[in-house]
Amino acid sequence: MRWGRWKASCRAICASGVWVATVVVAAAAARGGFSPEDRAWWAFQPVKKLAPPKVQHADWPRNDIDRFVLARIEQAGMKPASEAPRRTLVRRVYFDLIGLPPTPEEVEDFVADSSPDAYEKLVDRLLASPRFGERWARPWLDLVRFAESDGFKADDFRPHAWRYRDYVVKSFNDDKPYDRFVQEQLAGDELFPGQPDALAGTAYFRNGIYEYNNRDVRGQWQRILEDITDTTADAFLGMGLQCARCHDHKFDPILQRDYYRFQAFFAPLLPRDDLTLATPAERAGHDAKLKQWETATADIRSEIEKLLASVKRDTERGAAEKFIEEVRVMIDKPVGRRTPYEHQIAELAYRQVLYDVERLDSKLKGDTKDRVLALRKQLAGFDALKPAPLPALVAATDVGAVAPAVFIPRKESLGDIAPGFPSVLEEGPAVVEGRAQSTGRRAALARWLTAPANPLTARVMVNRLWQGHFGRGLAANASDFGRLGEAPSHPELLDWLAATFVEGGWSLKKMHRLMVTSAAYRQDARAGVDAAAATKDPENRLLGRGSVRRLEAEQIRDALLAATGQLKLDAGGASTDFLTPRRSIYTRVLRNACDPILDVFDLAESFQSVAQRHTTTTPTQAMLLFNSQMMLRHARAFATRLELEFPSGDEEMTGAAYRYAFGRAPSEAERLGARRFMEGQLRLRQSEGGAPAKPFATAKMPYRDGVAAVVAPEMGADALAVPDSATLPKGDFTIEAAILVRSVDAGGMVRTIAAKWSGDTRKPGWGFAVTGRGSRRKPQTLVMQIIGTKRDGSFGEEAIFSDQTLELGRPYYVAAVVKLATDKAPGEITFHAKDLANDDEPASIARVPHQITGGFANALALNLGGRPAKGGAFDGMLDDVRLSAAALKQGELLSAGDAANEKTAGYWQFEPKPGAFHDASTSRNDIQPPATGARASALARASALADFCHALLNANEFIYID
Amino acid sequence: MAKFGCNRVEWAVTRRDFIERAGAGFGALALSGLMEAEGAAAPAGGGAIHPLAEKPPHFAPRAKSVIFLFMEGGPSHLDTFDPKPGLKQHAGKPLPTSFTQGLITAMGEYGAPVFPDRREWKQYGQGGLWISDWCRHVAECADDLAVIRSCWANGIVHSNGVCQMNTGSILAGRPSLGAWASYGLGTANQNLPAFVVMQDNQGTVVNGPRNWGAGFMPAVYQGTRLLPGAEPIAHLHTPEGVSESQQRGKLDFLRGLNRNHAASRTQQTELDARIAAYELAFRMQAESPEAVELSRETNATRRLYGMEDKDCATFGRMCLMARRLVERGVRFVQLYSGAGSKWDAHANIEQNHGDRFRETDKPIAGLLKDLKARGLLDETLVVWGGEFGRTPMSEKGNGRDHNPTGFTMWMAGGGVKGGQTHGATDDFGLHALKDRLHVHDLHATILWLLGLKNLGLTYSYKGRPENPTLNEGAPFQAIAR
Repeated sequence: MRWGRWKASCRAICASGVWVATVVVAAAAARGGFSPEDRAWWAFQPVKKLAPPKVQHADWPRNDIDRFVLARIEQAGMKPASEAPRRTLVRRVYFDLIGLPPTPEEVEDFVADSSPDAYEKLVDRLLASPRFGERWARPWLDLVRFAESDGFKADDFRPHAWRYRDYVVKSFNDDKPYDRFVQEQLAGDELFPGQPDALAGTAYFRNGIYEYNNRDVRGQWQRILEDITDTTADAFLGMGLQCARCHDHKFDPILQRDYYRFQAFFAPLLPRDDLTLATPAERAGHDAKLKQWETATADIRSEIEKLLASVKRDTERGAAEKFIEEVRVMIDKPVGRRTPYEHQIAELAYRQVLYDVERLDSKLKGDTKDRVLALRKQLAGFDALKPAPLPALVAATDVGAVAPAVFIPRKESLGDIAPGFPSVLEEGPAVVEGRAQSTGRRAALARWLTAPANPLTARVMVNRLWQGHFGRGLAANASDFGRLGEAPSHPELLDWLAATFVEGGWSLKKMHRLMVTSAAYRQDARAGVDAAAATKDPENRLLGRGSVRRLEAEQIRDALLAATGQLKLDAGGASTDFLTPRRSIYTRVLRNACDPILDVFDLAESFQSVAQRHTTTTPTQAMLLFNSQMMLRHARAFATRLELEFPSGDEEMTGAAYRYAFGRAPSEAERLGARRFMEGQLRLRQSEGGAPAKPFATAKMPYRDGVAAVVAPEMGADALAVPDSATLPKGDFTIEAAILVRSVDAGGMVRTIAAKWSGDTRKPGWGFAVTGRGSRRKPQTLVMQIIGTKRDGSFGEEAIFSDQTLELGRPYYVAAVVKLATDKAPGEITFHAKDLANDDEPASIARVPHQITGGFANALALNLGGRPAKGGAFDGMLDDVRLSAAALKQGELLSAGDAANEKTAGYWQFEPKPGAFHDASTSRNDIQPPATGARASALARASALADFCHALLNANEFIYID
Repeated sequence: MAKFGCNRVEWAVTRRDFIERAGAGFGALALSGLMEAEGAAAPAGGGAIHPLAEKPPHFAPRAKSVIFLFMEGGPSHLDTFDPKPGLKQHAGKPLPTSFTQGLITAMGEYGAPVFPDRREWKQYGQGGLWISDWCRHVAECADDLAVIRSCWANGIVHSNGVCQMNTGSILAGRPSLGAWASYGLGTANQNLPAFVVMQDNQGTVVNGPRNWGAGFMPAVYQGTRLLPGAEPIAHLHTPEGVSESQQRGKLDFLRGLNRNHAASRTQQTELDARIAAYELAFRMQAESPEAVELSRETNATRRLYGMEDKDCATFGRMCLMARRLVERGVRFVQLYSGAGSKWDAHANIEQNHGDRFRETDKPIAGLLKDLKARGLLDETLVVWGGEFGRTPMSEKGNGRDHNPTGFTMWMAGGGVKGGQTHGATDDFGLHALKDRLHVHDLHATILWLLGLKNLGLTYSYKGRPENPTLNEGAPFQAIAR
């Protein structure tokens, strides 16, 4: 493609005409040379540590922060607010430091602690908690736009991305000095060679978006570099450079040349997936074991390789042909003869080739395929010999000791741009010490950023911490200290904090401690605001009172799980899906499919660096919290917790509910209100008749509309049972569903999608399922088991496997079209599997012959997500399950957009309207939840309690902290 | 404009404002509460500024609303509105290298032979627009169409193409055009979302909901997806297993909790906003979403949109809903045809495009005719197109690859002069040559017809004044009457 005009690709946010007219600035840079005003800009001045000012109310300050704050309050003729009550304070500081509510015991312990340093001890305990890093990693991850998927059409999951998240959590928990933290991320490979932990920080460079099939390889590389340049400037430097990508900055003294000087630090980067976190000893052990395995399996592997050879060759050739000639040439060149730039491009392009090569299996056919699968099965027999894989490391290094040239687009005549800092701070090029395998450029950048004299780094970081504790930074634009930002409200305080930060060895925990132990932080948000304050400082810029704040998305979800007793504090490791009750920091962050609860509460979009989230208040939030089955499930979990912990009575349960949700006991009036409410709800339940249906949770499946049934083995096989009826098929049939498999069985058991079968291989029936790890054929593939009459007249089981591979945690459309055998011809099952997270991936279709002619009908219920026998239950999500009494043609499948029709025996969509149990076809094969019988009245009482819990979880007191 | 660094937005601004609204009855607000939040910072001294309140345009607008018909996957211009006799003449031969030099295509079919179109072409209307038989119904409205044959874009694959056609950038993170229009103009009907999106099947539009997202602006400006079926908006209704009276009971109890809580926190208007949001949510489900209820439309109208025809019933229904929405003041409606790249005719374009046009041609013609008959076409801009066009070269023998370097879109109504063809591509329809209009120019043109300056509409993000077209683009004013 011709990039007709460079600027068209410019994502830079520059000034429009309107702004030029209204913002008067001296853009002297554009006219060559910086003006004195440019150089005098506050953020470029050395940090000055002034003595804290004198104040009148000398007994108010608890530390020096307070003297700066109070001086301004007094100047304005105001008074600070009183200290918040202990119950308020403990809740505030828990959420601020660890992101979780205190347990009722923790609240009472603090309230009862009469020692003078009770609060300081509490703060120290929280700072030492492993939960601290889990809370504070989040804003940092927003800044570096961390996510675990590619963010394009194919939003591919990045299975190892979590290691960077754990790196950040651990760094904060260990109170790694911030200068070291910066150095590791920007140049861990150059500054701390041989230290895997430091190398882990370079995963910072891998957090951006990536398009797996972008044929414009050079264009994509340039965009990756721009993304890294922009993000590094925002996050570490606190100065937006984007404006200078296309032209000199209109307001700040930043030249277009500065943009490319800065980019030159990153130009030699090479993304690396071949490094590990292992120590040399671990590696040696691993290699020795691997050698044994290799020897034992040499024959099998070489046979597999031979069988795959021609397909692999064709695939590689086909993939490479999609690039333009110039790129193909780079790929074909031996590595040693490539220039650094050619090597970068060839490596990036080769990822696309590799993508196709990793999917060779889908191209295998017939005997070759059977043989390969059989060999793989054999190979798996040697797994005991195989060493566990070394911990994978996502990292980046330089391409070599020589950097590729950096040019300013359309100003190539200016020649190669050497790396340098914003020239208003440092005119000349950066002093770079080369290394054997690396240019040393990033080391120079990291050193400059973390030099104690750097005017920006410390100011920017303490300001971010301040924003985290006080709701807004002392300088309101946390990632832009330029002229388009806002002057700091307390410049002397900002400098004092920055200087103290550096003096304290860049310890983040010391800064947190200083801030949250100040009197300014401890002020009451509820104290009446005096009239002077309301008029003089309506926005509370002078910090003369506390402020009520809504919790952030992750805090809300974590608090929900904590209060309802579901939260599991499993720290670290691979991310889990949003159904897993771990802290939100450990929930998969998929760029194109966000968790619904997190999303509605203003989760940061992880496409570019975000320094501060929005806080919106919308009815969509209310509807999600009040009407979704997911929230009803949390409410029931809360009620169950109360019933288990306080079986003796409603009064205790009411009190405990308030303490779990709000951190305080209810007043007498509140107790009475709660009792009346629950009695009323109980009466309604009883008078409105009918035992309450045994509900199941529904939730949005990633990348799909509407909601899906959440199926877990503990629900029991009959949770989604459709009673037998004449309309259920006895001949050819088709079963389809959208599924998301959370886990497969560790042994040979299957996970059932739908079955009309007891699980007994001597009794007629059928079951459509996903195989377990110990499958007789292949793990994580579809299987249709039919027990019926075969062509030779015998009766028995046939298991027909699709051989497609279903990844865990990914939504798929799956179908089995069952065409029965006849006397004359064998039958055929056509399996369809379509990855719903990747539109580019075509549906995989497998046709497999079989011998069953019929005779599988029975009087059993059709079970969705399970079967009556022990084992075989599904774990994950099911949606749009459709059973048709015919072998549907491809154009008739749901994937082609059809809905219920005359062939449909049942179509279960789990939507709240017309009902989660409802069959959308005319067959009326509704799911019939099991009769509740004698438990009905107990359930009605439990429902009233759950209603009470649901209301508490929706309350402002739960969502806001004072 | 929001103040620097002040990302806090609320739904109701002052307590007084809240009480006034409550006094007026929530019924009056109906569906509005769904979408709204406060976009502007609270002005000192109170006074409500509704973020979606109607705002004056920069100059007198030609169009009040937009209906953007997005053919997702990239419809061919060479088989619809941009006939090239050269295709038949060069059929089977590769393109001259002067055309393909420097070209990067998604599937790498640089040397593939030219693939002739198989269409019957005729001229229609007084303007004599060339239109192929695939669009014979829309052709009946030729004198309302302004066909732009010289569009170009930067994205060579769907995700960045669709992203750019919606947000101006091939990279994610920016607000969509509909979000900018909602931000710039608000909406005439507070009872409906300002920006509505519908799609013709359950597939995922490439990139998902961020195509109608608000990017770095508050979520209040994002598009609202109307779902097919009984619950057009997620979680609109009382959940199954809970009766209306139980729901009401719960809501009353919750309101009591929240009132007590707010009583000692009088400075926090957000708390009131949240109380009101719950009331609205409850009222809304009682209000039938009348706007999307088609039962009152006559049979003649339904036939006009092709709703009796199985092939085009779905898109016909969407087009008819679009008319009802703009009739009720909705600012921006976007309809996706072929959601999930189903216009992506790499192979067998004959069947692929044949099917898509069978689904959409009649409904779109019906929409144009119906709008016109009701006098709405003058103030409603209808835009047709995809993220790019298709190549003159064949792919897989009978399909076409992506072509962002030259393709066609058309506009109708909203002050656009009909019966016109603008711009031109080269002899093979590969590159736009004359009056080239980049996506930014197209967006600038749409905004200009709405009375907005593309560079004058700014939102401050991270201290930087952002605008919808990334400091680029100019309205193509020759398109207007």
